[in-house]
Amino acid sequence: MLRNKIKGVVLVSLIGVVTLSSCSKVKRDPGLEYAPQMYRPIAYNPDQKNEAFADGKTAQKPVEGTIPQGFEVFHYPNTPEGYEAAGAELHSPLAKNEANFEEGKKLFLNMCSQCHGKTGMADGAVVAKAGFPAPPHYNSDALKNLPEGKMFFTITYGKGAMGSHASQLSKEERWKIIQYIQYLQKQ
Amino acid sequence: MSTNPSVFLKNYLKKGLLILTFVFFGVAQALAADPKEGETLFKANCSSCHAVGKKVTGPALKDVDKRHEEAWIIKWVHNSQAMVKAGDPVAVKLFNENNQSVMTAFPNLTEDNVKSILAYIKQEGDAIDKAAAAGPVGGAAAESKGTSTFTIFSLLGLVGVLLLVIWVLNRVIKTLEQIVANRKAEGLVEEEVEEEEKPSAFAVKLKKLALNKKVIALSLLTAIVVLSAWSVREMWFTGVTQNYQPVQPIKFSHKIHAGVNQINCQYCHSGAFKSKNASIPSANVCMNCHSQINEYKGEPIFDAEGEKIDGTAEIQKIYAALDYDPTTQKYGTNTRPIEWIRIHNLPDFAYFNHSQHVKVAEESIRAAKGLKAEDPVCYACHGEVAKMDEVYQYSPLTMKWCINCHRETDMKHLPKNHYYDNMVEVHDRIKRGEKVTVAQMGGLECSKCHY
Repeated sequence: MLRNKIKGVVLVSLIGVVTLSSCSKVKRDPGLEYAPQMYRPIAYNPDQKNEAFADGKTAQKPVEGTIPQGFEVFHYPNTPEGYEAAGAELHSPLAKNEANFEEGKKLFLNMCSQCHGKTGMADGAVVAKAGFPAPPHYNSDALKNLPEGKMFFTITYGKGAMGSHASQLSKEERWKIIQYIQYLQKQ
Repeated sequence: MSTNPSVFLKNYLKKGLLILTFVFFGVAQALAADPKEGETLFKANCSSCHAVGKKVTGPALKDVDKRHEEAWIIKWVHNSQAMVKAGDPVAVKLFNENNQSVMTAFPNLTEDNVKSILAYIKQEGDAIDKAAAAGPVGGAAAESKGTSTFTIFSLLGLVGVLLLVIWVLNRVIKTLEQIVANRKAEGLVEEEVEEEEKPSAFAVKLKKLALNKKVIALSLLTAIVVLSAWSVREMWFTGVTQNYQPVQPIKFSHKIHAGVNQINCQYCHSGAFKSKNASIPSANVCMNCHSQINEYKGEPIFDAEGEKIDGTAEIQKIYAALDYDPTTQKYGTNTRPIEWIRIHNLPDFAYFNHSQHVKVAEESIRAAKGLKAEDPVCYACHGEVAKMDEVYQYSPLTMKWCINCHRETDMKHLPKNHYYDNMVEVHDRIKRGEKVTVAQMGGLECSKCHY
């Protein structure tokens, strides 16, 4: 009798262990959810689907002819003439102080160095390992005297293989980065 | 030096040819067009927009010497815009063909410099032609074919073995059936009856056991314990999505981007340092690199199930979403969003702000979690994302998890902040029994009322 009991216990616990551990290690499902009305926002998240709009997106572009509050329009057109004009007229509204320099350095290392390299020598990993065309060095003939307005234009619209970084960097951030690039130009 | 007459003759012929070249092109020019110097100049000035074999921002430069005259090229390099404005038909056509992107003027490059660059381009172009002539019987192609045929053959072999096993088993069954038939024919039916009785005896025993009250009680008890343990566990982890690792529409590998190519987290999740949301990058951020990088050539990548990911096909998915044609480098209008699946999801009633943690508290969090200096602060909660091919939720994101970290994190690294100076001062004045107004405690800040 005792042997049978042991057998029974072993059998039941085996079944238990098997059912509990049968789930695969990769968790493709988020699992159970309780009271979703308390967890999910009523308002739409910006990156959520939205049936109310024809294109199904919550994140809509501003209506044509309007600009979002706080947004500053960049008045130079993306043309060769605009580039030259920006180079001649556009200057940083920020004071060139140490705090801005330090922030510019940090932003440069995070946002630019993967291609331009930590010192502007075009030796970032995206160039060295992924095969992105190498940009010119900051201290090369073409760039060492580049005016700051042209730099701002380039970060805003992109130039050559470089794309626009306007969606990632605010105007102030762009000017802070430029202050650090000007330091690298002289290296 | 050499007594071999053919080598002697060869040397003379070579020298003769060289002299002939000098006569034809002039000594100075032949010395000036140095492909080695050209290579350095090309890499320093041209390669950010031009490649020899393919179109990048500017056109492919292979055979450029056949398309344009040397003098024209030199003029173009010195100031292409002047030529476009002067209305040179070839220059205008070239400008329009390349999306009107302006080529930087290089007035500093001398004529000899440009000639050296052209010599380098010619050398590279010839190398490409040679490689093309060698045909697609390249080493890599043969190798990849080899592995695939190996797989096919081994699979075929496996099928063969399985067929053999089926055949053998069939034979065995047939033989056994024949033996049974033979025995039946011999009249050995009693044995079969005996065989049936044996398991029935066992079944009786089993029945007896199943009706035993102690056994019933014990199995019921075990079932209750197992079930309640299971339900407690399920309830405990309801809404906790730790380790959640959904299949994303594009098999984006953080290991390749943040690990191998060392792209900072902030480059794509640029909201993390300045807003509540870390933000999922829009496809224009992908295109900052993938406008140029349209195939994957690195180490093989695998998903969580261990299946190999075709990186090049995944890059094509960005182009499909943007309706981008990599050959013409033009965007179409038939775009559709990439529907990423959200992994980290806080309930609506909990407020979390990325910039508060990543920017203000960066040093404190680094110290509390013992992060290495070169690691991004993001690792504290998201784990070593730069080592994940497929991202999963590293932290439980439960309230207990938040509270524990807030209990333990030392604020000694707090950046200088007048808010706390003011708070301590007000605190001291209250202690001394002096008059303190609401305004002194920040009650006049606009956002206290107008939020």
